[in-house]
Parts: sequence; C-alpha cells; structure tokens
Amino acid sequence: MKKLGLITTMLLMGGVALAAVPKDTLVIQESADIPTLDPGVTYDTASGQFTENIYETLWTYKGSSLTSFEPLLATAIPSFSNGGKTLTVSLRKNVKFQSGNAFTCADAEYSFRRNLVTNSGESGNWFLSDSLLGTQSNAKDDPTITWAKIAASVKCSNPSTLVFSLPKADPAFLAKLAFTGQSIVDMKWAIQQGEWNGTEATWKDWVGKDLTGGGLDKKPSGTGAYQLVSRDANSILLKAFPGYWGSKPAIQNIIWQKIPEQAARFQAFLKGDADVIESGARAVVTEQLVGKPGLSFIDNLPNTVATAFFMNEKIGDPALLGSGKLDGKGIPANFFSDVNVRRAFAYSFDYAGYIKDVQQGKGKQRTMLLPDTFPGYTSSVKTYKYDPVQATAYFKRAFSGNVWKNGFTLNTNYRAGAVASQTAMEILKKNVEAINPKFKININAKQWSQMLTDSKNGKEAMIILGWAPDYADPDNFLYTFYSSQGYYYPRSNWKDASVDKWLDQARVTVNTAARNKLYAQVAQRAYEQTPYMLVPAGVNFAIVRDNLKGVSAATYNPMRSDANTGVLWKTLSKN
Amino acid sequence: MFTFIVRRLIQIPVVMFVLSIMIVGLLQLLSPAQRASGYIRSEQQAAHLDQIIRDKGFDQPFPVQYGKWLGSALHGDLGFSKTSSAPVLDTIAQRLPATLELAILAAIPIILIGVWFGTLSALHKDRPIDQIMRVFTVLGYSLPTFVLGILFLKFLYGTLGWAPGPGQLDTINQFTILDPSFKRYTGMLTVDGLLNGKPAVTLDVLRHLILPVLTLTIVSSANIIKIMRAQMLEALTSDFVRTARSKGLPERVVTGKHARRNALLPVVTLSGFTLIGLLGGSIITETIFAYPGVGQWAAGAAGNFDVPAVIGFALASAVIVVLISTATDILYGVVDPRVRFD
Repeated sequence: MKKLGLITTMLLMGGVALAAVPKDTLVIQESADIPTLDPGVTYDTASGQFTENIYETLWTYKGSSLTSFEPLLATAIPSFSNGGKTLTVSLRKNVKFQSGNAFTCADAEYSFRRNLVTNSGESGNWFLSDSLLGTQSNAKDDPTITWAKIAASVKCSNPSTLVFSLPKADPAFLAKLAFTGQSIVDMKWAIQQGEWNGTEATWKDWVGKDLTGGGLDKKPSGTGAYQLVSRDANSILLKAFPGYWGSKPAIQNIIWQKIPEQAARFQAFLKGDADVIESGARAVVTEQLVGKPGLSFIDNLPNTVATAFFMNEKIGDPALLGSGKLDGKGIPANFFSDVNVRRAFAYSFDYAGYIKDVQQGKGKQRTMLLPDTFPGYTSSVKTYKYDPVQATAYFKRAFSGNVWKNGFTLNTNYRAGAVASQTAMEILKKNVEAINPKFKININAKQWSQMLTDSKNGKEAMIILGWAPDYADPDNFLYTFYSSQGYYYPRSNWKDASVDKWLDQARVTVNTAARNKLYAQVAQRAYEQTPYMLVPAGVNFAIVRDNLKGVSAATYNPMRSDANTGVLWKTLSKN
Repeated sequence: MFTFIVRRLIQIPVVMFVLSIMIVGLLQLLSPAQRASGYIRSEQQAAHLDQIIRDKGFDQPFPVQYGKWLGSALHGDLGFSKTSSAPVLDTIAQRLPATLELAILAAIPIILIGVWFGTLSALHKDRPIDQIMRVFTVLGYSLPTFVLGILFLKFLYGTLGWAPGPGQLDTINQFTILDPSFKRYTGMLTVDGLLNGKPAVTLDVLRHLILPVLTLTIVSSANIIKIMRAQMLEALTSDFVRTARSKGLPERVVTGKHARRNALLPVVTLSGFTLIGLLGGSIITETIFAYPGVGQWAAGAAGNFDVPAVIGFALASAVIVVLISTATDILYGVVDPRVRFD
C-alpha cells in the first residue's frame, strides 16, 4: 500500500511539469465526432474543418467577405458566358497532391462527376446536381439522369481548362463551388483506394453510395496545406504538406482531440493545453472563460443562422388540434391560415426581452430570414415589436372574432434539449396567455428524430427551426423558407404566388441589383403576411489562446467550417 | 472443470445469436425515420431522410434486415459505425484495449480497498475506524461519478496542476503514438509503449489513468466495502470462528484464514460483476476524462441510433459477461472447495 502511494505521488508530481503546446503546433479540442475526411460526402462542419484544410476548392471566400472570392486551384475567378450557362475555369499548374500525383484537369472533372454520380442523402451534392443537371436527386431517384448528361455538364476542354455547362443560369453557382464538399480529389489515388474509377462502365454501381468510411475517408490526398498523418479513436494528427503550392504555413502540426466533456475542455484551455476549443453558449463562456489570463475573446462576429417560429397553416396531426375547433379546447387545422392570427402572435413575442435575457444583450432582430451579412439582405423592411395592444387587436379580428370570443388551446413542440427554443416558446406562451385567459399554449419537448419526420410531414403546429447556409447566397435561405417549392414549405404550408414568382425570377437573375430588388420585395411581402415569427439572431464570438495569431473580426469568415477560428489553419501562427 | 469451461464457451455463440435477434428486434420498435436520423447532422440532410431510409434498408421487413446483418456478421463484418467513422470490429479492436487497461488498473484498487476496508470496518465495529469507513462508503454511494470526476479535473488538474488533463496522453506523446512508426502490438498503450521502446508513453498513459482510476475506486469500492463488512460481521459471530478461537488459534489466523475466507464468497461474485461493469466501459468516467474506451463510443452510438455499433457493442459485452462469469465461478470453487462443477 505504501509503495502504491509512492508511485501515485511520483506520477502525480510528474504531471506538474506538463509540456506546453509547442509554437508550431495547434491543439484543437471538440466534442463532436469527425464523420468523414472525404469531401464527396462532407456536409457537416466537424468534417468540413478538416476537408477544407486537407483539400482545396477551385476558389474560396476572400478574407471575411461573403461576396468576394479568391482563387485556389483556379488561376482566376471566372465569369459566366452563354447567358450565364457556361463557366470556363482555368486551372493552376504545378500543383501536387499529397500522394505526389500532379494535379490536372482530369482530377477536377473526376471530382465533380463523382459528386454528381454518388449524390447520397448524407452529402450536400444535391445543390451541385441542381445547378448542373436541373434536379437535386441522384440517378436512382431520377431516371432522367444519364451518363451523357453528367459527362456533358462538366468536362475538360484541354489539360488545364474545366468547363461547366448549366441547363440554366445559376447566380449562386460560384458560391456553391466554394463549399468544401466541392473540393478536388486525387483521381489516381482515389481509384487506388477502391473508389469509383471514373468510367461510364461502372458509374451506376456508385449511384447514391454513401462514401463515409470509404477509401478516401481513410486515406485522403488533397492539394491543401495540411495532410493526414494519423487518426485514432479520439484524435487526428495533421502535418504541414511540404509540397504545398502556396506559402508555407507557420503551424506545422495540427492535433485534434475529442474531449466530450465541456468542463474538461475548459480546464485544458485555461491551462494552455489546448489552443482552440469548442466553447459553447455565450452565457457559459462569459461566466467561465472571458477575462481569464491567456485567453483572447473576439466578440461581435457575424451569425449566419436564421431561426424562426413556424406557424403551420395546415396542421396534419389531429393529436395536436385538441377538439379541432375554435371552442377554447383546441384549434382548427387551418388556425394559422388567418393572417390576423399570425400577426397577433408576432406582436406577442418579446423580441427585446429575448435579446436582453436570453442573448445577454448580444442579439439582433432581422428584417427577413436571411443573415444580415448576406448579399440580398435589406434593412429597410420593418420588424415586429412586442405590442400587446396590437396583438389584442389582431386576435379580436381573427376568424371573425371567434378566436377572441372562444379562446384556443395550442399544442407546440420544441426540440428536446434546445434550451433557447424552450425559452422562446415560454416567453410566447406567457405573453399570449396574458392577453386573454381563454388562450392556452401547451409546450412539449420532442426528440429531434421524431420532430424531423413529423415536421417534414406537416404535422407540427408550431415549432422553432433554423437554417445554416450551404453556400453564401440568399437563394439558399429565401427559397428554403419562403417558396412553396422550398424545403421548409411542408412545415409552414404558406404559399404566396407573388413571392414564388419573385424567388424563381431571382434564381436565374445574374444582375445583382435586380436580384436584390426581388429579394427586398420578398422581405416586404413576408413582413406583411407574417408566415414566420423571426427569432432574434445571436451575435457570434470566438475565444482562443491569446498567443494564437490570425483570428480576428477582420479575418473571421462565418462560411468556414471551423467556426472556432473562422479561418483556414494555414493562416494561423503562434507567438 | 474442463467440461464446465467447454460448456460455458459453447454458450457464447448461442448467447450472441439470441442477443443479436433481440437487439435487432428491439431496434424495430424505432421507426425507420428514427433510425435514419442517426445519419443526419443538419436540417439540410433531413431533406434526404427518405433516401437514407431506402439506401440503408430501414424500410425492409425484419427478417430481411436481420438476414442481411447476419450474413455480413458471419463473414466477419459487423457493419460500419457512424459514431466512430470506422467498421464496428475495428472500433472494438481499437477501443477495447484502452478499456481493458482502465478496467484492470481500476479493479485492483477497487477490490483490494474494498476487501481491506470492509474487513477493517468489521473488526472495529462501532469504533472510530468503522465510522470513518462508513462515511467513506456513504460518500462513494452518494457522490455521482460525474461530480467526482469534474471535481478532480478542476482541482487536481486545473487548479493545482498535480495531475494531467483529459485524454490518454500529453501532446508530445500523442505525436509519438500517432506516428506511423509506432506499432500497435496489443492496442494497450502501457504495453505498446514498452514494446516500442518508448517508456515515456507508458508512464504518460499511467499518469493519465490516475484520475479516472481514483474516481472509479471511490465510487465502486463502496459496494465491496459494505458487502465485505456485512459478511465479515456474520462470519465473526459464526460457530466455526468460535470453534477456531476456542482451539486457541491466534486472532490473525482466525480472522484472516477462517472468517475472511468465508466472507469473501459473495465478494468474489460482486467483484466479477464490478469487472464486467468496468470492461463494459465506464461510460461516465470515460466521457469526463476523454478516455478512448468502448464505453464512450457505446454511449455516443446509442444516442445516435447507430444500429451496427449498438449490436456490436452488445455482442462484445455478451462475450465479456460469459468469460468473466466463468472465471468468477472457477474462482468461487477455489475459495470454496465445496463447490463442484462437473
């Protein structure tokens, strides 16, 4: 026992002299798993932070801008020809992959074709397919997709020129190609690892194939500044790629560690054993990390998530309707189809209180469901304010006065564990129920998996959902939320012919000013019709060790997968 | 004895088969959409939920789904774990050694302290030592592993800097083991460090094990202390102990050889269960200390509806249970010669 105690003491004392993180090494600690290192199936930020540093796209966002690009594997940012339907890309020469293979146009052609062929449900390739093939589906679900169509949509016109042919103009196409999932892979290497061989003879075998865990996931080879050294249960090690065509990065090693417990990450961060961590909500960070020695807090960064209360105009779940009538014990399925109800609810939410109490004063009311840093955003449209008098007036008008006279019971759900959503729902409930004692809102937690299915099938009455961008283009948000063909339509069942027309027009309008005008019209119409109640957007922040240089408001780009730094790792250095 | 062991080993595939049917069957209680949601990380991906259901075959009848899984399993393929982004078998092979290291290193103090403190407590019944032991036991019972782990991390690592932080290794040694030249002979870094001629790795892993082992010891030894104390008290008042004392045997022999040996019988069983629990992965401890064992992976897999991982983990656990139960029964026979197996 004494010996055991002695050994324990020696081991413990050995921990006193912990080795600090070397200057050329970046240690990142996060809680999420890294699903894949294959860009062909990358559609989450955890994987994306690796693929965007191991691989490269044709171009990427310039600094913190969401509208300007700088070339990576292209020599310049190309312009569209043929009425916006042809994009000719000149490719960089003398670039090597980490395998040693030279980068050629065949690699780029293969990469995009591979994405169009596989286009699995887990990937983000639906938006590439939408632009190049005119459908979001893969060939399994859409028989009109043929090899000829795929091959014609992207091909090399010579060894250093890649040509994209679009069925119709798509002003978002440049932004789509900046997404890390559209990175260029090493064709020869991929084939050696057992991936698709790029030929017509085998393409059908790869349709819809989930590439997670495939050859490139295990052994990636890109042209990026960092290459994979090793990966195990809880850590990933990258080192600077000596053959990188660009400037040599100051950070030579990246160690990513999976540390699920927040308290453990915080301790490591405070001690300097981690340079960057997944930090969590503002309230926690403010209380436990801000102002502590050795840490640098960068506030007022852009937030690119749009969140809203959905008010379903055709509720498909009888269980949520109670009596199904306006008798105080339930609601009819079309309860939210009356614009007066929607406006009354919009006037019932305390936006300023939510910003003050939930977002600690660091929030912003937007005019539309589009990040305010995005092109197409307009600040000239009005926003709703908490106004019980206005809310009362609209409730009195709704359903010819029956809402006010009989009251209602509304059953709402929020995603289990989503504290901010729960709080927002509770604020709304308190304010609505205070207007009329006959008004009742029941709030229930629901598992995300169940909520996904139910909301997709139009069953939810009122839920809070957000959208994070796939690419920095307003269409990615506005079509999703406001079009009757958009992804969120079944959850709101709000349809407006004018809005549909404007959004379809904007999709093929290359002129930026004309496009923005259309989006301003959409925003104005949405304000008037109130299909959604907009949840104030929180202000983003970053917190890193203060000896880490390269993270600032001037460099932070919210479109980067690494939301902790908002930059590519090759731009970082340490004092 | 030999027949008994063979009979037990034959049980393993039978248990695994029944268990696999049960788990795949239980998972049918989840809707295809629920199971497919494990493959989704964003609203965007949810747009393709139906496609994922079709691709994964979650919409197919139970016999077809089970048949597919069994066919692959018989060829040594337990499927792909979305949680670890690797094949299930590879994940188990990679993580089980780490759990084994933690379990073995934790089981030793848990059992030794449990038996020693339990005996001490019984021998000094109602005296200060007994009171201290009882307080320790109550603390072990009532303090959640989570709280204890966080406290250790905060003070012993964060504030005092006496212990290393989360994870299995410091940054420097992480470079060493992630280097392709570092061979994973056993998967246990304490052993592989020595086999690779890198004792610093072995020492570092041991240092990183201190806090998890300390946490597990305080929490898990309480049970053994309590049982040992009760059994010891019973044994000390039994006829055979009175007889031994009346024969003039020294007290050390009476308590050590006669009383404690009889008191150990239920403790052997309990220790077996404790070890099973540890080998099954100490989920909370592994999570808090970011220890890359099977427990941490299994917890994540269950939360993600990672079907192949859940089945794989359950099967691995079943094998562990059968093997440890067999070992416990054999040990039982050693402690109590009256127990016969054949």
